[in-house]
Amino acid sequence: MNSEKASGPEKAAELKLDDMGQEVVALPGGRIVSQGEAPEFFYVIQSGKVRVFRETEDGIRTPLTELGPGAYFGEVALVTGQPRTASVEAIEESRLIKISKEEFDRLLDENPRLARHIINQLSQWLVAGDRRLETETVHQVKLRQVSWFDYVLILGLSLVFAVVFNLYNDNQIPLVPQLRDGVPTISMNKAVEYVQNNGALFVDARKSNFFDQRHIKGALNLPVIFFDLQFPMFQFMLTQMEGAKEKPIIVYGGNFSRRFDLELAHLLMDKGYKVMVFNDYGGWEKALPTVAKKAKPLPSMPLGFAGAMEWLPVSIFVLFLIPPVRRSPYLSVGCRLILGVIFIGFALSKIMRPAVFALNVVEYGLTPAWGVNLWALFLPWAELLAGLFLVLGIRTRASATIIGGMNVIFIVGLVNAIFLGLPINCGCVGEVGEPVTWWKVLKNSGMLFMALQIFLYDRLFVLDRGGFVWRARPI
Amino acid sequence: MTQGFRKLVLIMGLALVWLAAWGCGESRAPFAGHYRSEAAYAGKGHIDLTLKENGEATWKLEQDPATLKFKWKVEGKQLFMYTKEGAVLIVNPTEDGKKLSMDISGSWHASCPVDQCITFVKVSGER
Repeated sequence: MNSEKASGPEKAAELKLDDMGQEVVALPGGRIVSQGEAPEFFYVIQSGKVRVFRETEDGIRTPLTELGPGAYFGEVALVTGQPRTASVEAIEESRLIKISKEEFDRLLDENPRLARHIINQLSQWLVAGDRRLETETVHQVKLRQVSWFDYVLILGLSLVFAVVFNLYNDNQIPLVPQLRDGVPTISMNKAVEYVQNNGALFVDARKSNFFDQRHIKGALNLPVIFFDLQFPMFQFMLTQMEGAKEKPIIVYGGNFSRRFDLELAHLLMDKGYKVMVFNDYGGWEKALPTVAKKAKPLPSMPLGFAGAMEWLPVSIFVLFLIPPVRRSPYLSVGCRLILGVIFIGFALSKIMRPAVFALNVVEYGLTPAWGVNLWALFLPWAELLAGLFLVLGIRTRASATIIGGMNVIFIVGLVNAIFLGLPINCGCVGEVGEPVTWWKVLKNSGMLFMALQIFLYDRLFVLDRGGFVWRARPI
Repeated sequence: MTQGFRKLVLIMGLALVWLAAWGCGESRAPFAGHYRSEAAYAGKGHIDLTLKENGEATWKLEQDPATLKFKWKVEGKQLFMYTKEGAVLIVNPTEDGKKLSMDISGSWHASCPVDQCITFVKVSGER
């Protein structure tokens, strides 16, 4: 839309020109009106043809229309007093009547249809401008919106991918661990009697680092995760212990997830042993004599690139201290890329072998038995999808919320493990060799802040409702 | 949005390819073969460990009828063996792959802990 464009109901022949203006001739290629100049004249084409176009500073032309005999242009600019919004040049030799502002005012007085036409055109531009403004506003508002659909999309897709991938994965795990019933339980008082009479054999089902940290005095360690490997050694040790074969076995070492003690009990029962578990799985630490040793910090495996990436979320804290930077959408883009890559890395280290991650989940002792495998299958896919969405700029606020939520869960798990002194592997990037430390808490806190920054300020390079936003479009 | 969807599908496809490549790890060929434990285990003779190039591994105790199966991969300078229960055994090759030190603690250590280490010697290559 431009003020030079002419058309419409009013042809020059119908205008009462009354010998107004002066006749001018424009040669082919000759410029009649230039974009940006102050409007001084109204033009009526008598013969020939002109081209109306817009032109950028770089000289890129956008043709708008061509006008022939009877058409006119330049009227709206004269009415509004705004600079010309387009240029006009002659395509062929053209004769035009050039009418000054004063003459044009008289022309309007004598040609009410022309006046109506101009009002009509201005109204149309106004309506079109309002619509464009509305479209922009709606687009910007939608970018800021987060709908339940976004969460359902990401979490639902994660669940579907997790279940389908598990079906075809060589390292498949059951969705819900099948913990069989039927293991006899024993009260703590009865267990104390067994200790006093030396009437039972206590077997710790946890990994050796848990056992080393604290165990029932005289207990043997048979980690359920190494049962097949270490059972022959267990049998061998029983043969070396006098009267051990006849004694009942009391298996302990379960936590909230109840995996270790119940699973080992079943495996030993299958081998023909008389086995029991505590009815209060955590009561042994207070009720029975134990041997405790100060836990050695777990060694940390060098993580290479993944380890280097851990510095980024922590160093981002520095940028959050600078208010203009803190609110920058460009920082959001940086945060999205960093968080996205980190979470994709997290996911890929876990997706292929869910059993390993499930074991990590059990060791945290915060997930009920039925939820361990589901969580171990679902979480890596949620990490992968949310990470990919952040990198690609799809549903970024929802993705950031999900990742922030995961960070909160991780922080709670890590702090709980640190306070309880659990000698466990973090389960973050590597499968082993990542001890739980305050450093990991700090890293997750950094990532939580990054997610928050994305949620509040992200609006660039976003592929979202209404198309791809490459740059800020202030309204 | 259609373009965006196509882009999404493309990226997801690439991610899955990457995932598959990630899961495969490095070439297993240099370490594939038959190994035998240096010492007897649990009073039941030596352990025969076979690492197949396809990522499967078997563990057989001389005087025990059971054969255990694992998955294994090579990453960095170490071998990772996975039990179906989710345990990870870290194996350090020494003497140019002729010996393997297997850490059965389930945790990562810079060197194999003496009381939880089984050393295997290569008997023959696979091929």
